[in-house]
Amino acid sequence: MTEVKKKKKGNSIVHPRYGCAIGAVNTVAAIPRGIPIGNCGPGCADKQYFMISFENGFQGAGYSGGGALPSSNLGENEIVFGGQNKLDDLIKSSLKIMDGDLFVVLTGCSGELIGDDVGSIVRKYQDKGYPVVYADTAGFKGNNLIGHEIVVKAIIDQFVGEFHGKKKKGLINLWFEIPYFHTNWRGDYIELKRILEGAGFEVNVLFGSESKGVEEWKSIPKAQFNLVVSPWVGLETAEYLKEKYSQPFLHIPVIPIGEEQTTEFIRKVVAFAGIDNKKAEKFIEAEAERYYYFLEHFSEFFSEYWFGLPARFTSVGEAAYNISITKFLTDQVGLIPVKQIITDNTPEKYREGIRELYRNISDGVSLEVDFIEDGYLIEQEVKNADYGSSVPLVLASSWEADVVQELKGLLVPIGTPITSEVVLNRSYIGYNGALTLLERVYTATVK
Amino acid sequence: MAKKKINLNLSSVDNREMRLGSIISWDGSASELVEASNYDIRGQKKTGGGCGGGKGAGCKLCELNMPFNQQTMCSHSIVGCQVGNLPDCILIEHSPIGCSAIHPRFNLGFRIGLMRRGKKVENIQIFSTNLLERDMVFGASDKLRRSIRDAWERFHPKAIFISMSCSTAIIGEDIESIAMEMEEELGVTVIPLFCEGFRSKHWSTGFDISQHGVVRQIVNKNPKKQEDLINIVALWGTDYFTEMLRPLGLRVNYLIDMASYDELAQASEAAATATFCHTLGSYMATALEDEYGVPQIDAPQPYGFAGTDDWLREIAKVMGKEDIIEDYIAREHARVLPKIEELREKLKGIKGFVATGSAYAHGMISVIRELGIEVDGSIVFHHDPVYDSGTSNQNTLKHLVENYGEIDHFTVSKTQQFQFYGLLKRVNPDFIIIRHNGLAPLAAKIGIPAFAMGDEHFPVGYDGIVRVGEALIEILARKKFNQVLQRHVKLPYTDWWLSQEDPFILAKQPEILDDPIEAVIAEKKNAV
Repeated sequence: MTEVKKKKKGNSIVHPRYGCAIGAVNTVAAIPRGIPIGNCGPGCADKQYFMISFENGFQGAGYSGGGALPSSNLGENEIVFGGQNKLDDLIKSSLKIMDGDLFVVLTGCSGELIGDDVGSIVRKYQDKGYPVVYADTAGFKGNNLIGHEIVVKAIIDQFVGEFHGKKKKGLINLWFEIPYFHTNWRGDYIELKRILEGAGFEVNVLFGSESKGVEEWKSIPKAQFNLVVSPWVGLETAEYLKEKYSQPFLHIPVIPIGEEQTTEFIRKVVAFAGIDNKKAEKFIEAEAERYYYFLEHFSEFFSEYWFGLPARFTSVGEAAYNISITKFLTDQVGLIPVKQIITDNTPEKYREGIRELYRNISDGVSLEVDFIEDGYLIEQEVKNADYGSSVPLVLASSWEADVVQELKGLLVPIGTPITSEVVLNRSYIGYNGALTLLERVYTATVK
Repeated sequence: MAKKKINLNLSSVDNREMRLGSIISWDGSASELVEASNYDIRGQKKTGGGCGGGKGAGCKLCELNMPFNQQTMCSHSIVGCQVGNLPDCILIEHSPIGCSAIHPRFNLGFRIGLMRRGKKVENIQIFSTNLLERDMVFGASDKLRRSIRDAWERFHPKAIFISMSCSTAIIGEDIESIAMEMEEELGVTVIPLFCEGFRSKHWSTGFDISQHGVVRQIVNKNPKKQEDLINIVALWGTDYFTEMLRPLGLRVNYLIDMASYDELAQASEAAATATFCHTLGSYMATALEDEYGVPQIDAPQPYGFAGTDDWLREIAKVMGKEDIIEDYIAREHARVLPKIEELREKLKGIKGFVATGSAYAHGMISVIRELGIEVDGSIVFHHDPVYDSGTSNQNTLKHLVENYGEIDHFTVSKTQQFQFYGLLKRVNPDFIIIRHNGLAPLAAKIGIPAFAMGDEHFPVGYDGIVRVGEALIEILARKKFNQVLQRHVKLPYTDWWLSQEDPFILAKQPEILDDPIEAVIAEKKNAV
């Protein structure tokens, strides 16, 4: 056992499941009329686009990502003589050519290693009143989850700015999934916003189709509190906001899936906010009624299907989807979790808290989750798990396709990268998403 | 002995701008570019004559330097999608994890490529050394050694490649010494590739770097000739070449994607080397010719009747099949002509636009002109004024202009989406044919459907003309979808930019950027 543990300590990664910090260009592109500017090599943002957006449900770049993204494409000349002039030209021309409300300069490895003073160039534009922000997102600083928080903090710090006004009761800043990286983020934001509004809140969703763009970002300091719905990403942001704007935060580590968890989630948020719960309870009642209407129908298939259903499952993916889907299938559907692997290189300080969540995932079920990033080792673990006598169910990424084929199992992709599904507004969370997840898992079964 | 065109003594490769005078930004007519390229003079220089090549002022091709650029691709990516696509060899990317973020895309291409070639379909296995901040400070050589040992223990590959990235190049990682040291330790070929992204302004240098490594360290140094074997330098395309060349009694050896180590090694044993695209294949073909006397097919590319005829005749000449070739060509013409005439009728009045890699675009335009489609504008992502062979028969742009006529607006632009709007508006095509990402989404939003030429062999040969014609009829139907988008979706560019008539205005009049933009910003602020 110690032998295996030692082996895991290597640095190599095959079949990566995340990009690097500059992958946060996609975070900026997810803000309506936000324009990312790459101060990096010619291939950096392109590569991140493939991992985080295109080969991840074929989401597409939207307004300002992908091929539209301005980039300094640093070459030999800049490496030797510095890239400040090139960056200055790029920002100047971006402001004229790109039609946006917020421009964020993200510096990659080469930009940082040659030591250009990006801050002084950007500040020149900031001083003139241009909405330009800069962030240090060299790939060696960490993965795109880390990059996401670096960029969010930079925007708050340099664009949202100081605030001394009054807070607005019932207004929430939502710190939730990472745009594009969480494959279903577009649908998930819609569902979670629907739920929070149904319960009587106003929500700054900040990213995606439901966001009002920079106007919403500017109103971050007005919110009554910050709501972090994620195991660890977003906590740094919430801590920062607590200090900067004296805003409290509520941390709900497991994204709610299914009626019971979603209802519990609403009640927690309502209690934390101290708002009147009448609207929320009415909303819960209506949602619950609809949810069980469908669950009742589903239960006939679930109890009468003659030709075998999966019983044991492994789940492989970043922490947020992994724990929420594992919890739903274990606690609400009665499937048996046999191997859970978190692949997002969760910072050490958050790991014990997450382990505890798995240990208490459902009455009578306690799990030991693994943290592994190297696809080779992950796939070995998936292969060697004990699936009993029924067909193995593997909730993972498209990298697991080969091992699932070997197992003659069912692959339901739940995380980056996904190259076997086209994802638009799908969601697996909340009231509605739970039903879609059941559809997806059992469509794979009957196919 | 003739002067060698390729220097295999060094482990690194001069980039294309140094070797060939390649450019990435230019606008004019195709015939003007033929003239400015001065192919023949540059070619002579390769064999010892000429005007001193790219270093002499007389040979330098003018380039339009733009102050604004959008995200593109790098040589490091190209190396990943070349030597990372070998089923029994392993590539190790010595870099932070972000440099490997494109692997899911490569995996998809690799799996489809394996399927097309009838090989076992399985995941790609490229390693990342996964470097972090402390490695930038203290060096990362031990992590590289560890990854090489991991690769060896896990897969026992026939060869291991190491690719350099921007960060590891800047901190001065000595991958060549480590390659030699590990080669000794493990007894397996280890090949260092110097393909850091900043090394070249165009990604195609990555092809040369990959091919350089293969020819230098994998190709069999004591070849036993295989008289019926022809190398085709290719990517992931469907195997149409076997069918085309079987009547000449030839077997095809595809290089280098999806090839096994042994298939790469036997490249030096082939009777000839050809390619579907000189941008891709010229370096390898020339290196194999220089080093092992494997003749390269001295012809343009196999597209349209004219190109395919010339290409087949040259292969027949090299292979000693001249007695049967004219009969074969005549039969093929007679077979496909009725179908092509039918397609010409259906495609009457249609206008197309090509936006692909350099020499490939020359072939692609030939094919759609063969179908009677009008082409008065196109983009190549870079332009090589000469190929490594330096032989005049490979002057593909000249071949295009001479056989299929002028293209009024022939633009060199490295997947720059902001320029693409003006370039399309200038000629208003009914469809575009495209490779690489980044441009098609813009065309889609202004009502123009895109034919993503994902199978690059699709237009090859006589049947290729038919295949393209039939596919275009399906693509044109999609215009309905694009018109919906056009009616409802906004582009991310300012009205000021979209109203510019010249997509290269910033290079010609950079001072227009100094116009006050305060007004624009103030307006936006008021809107908020």
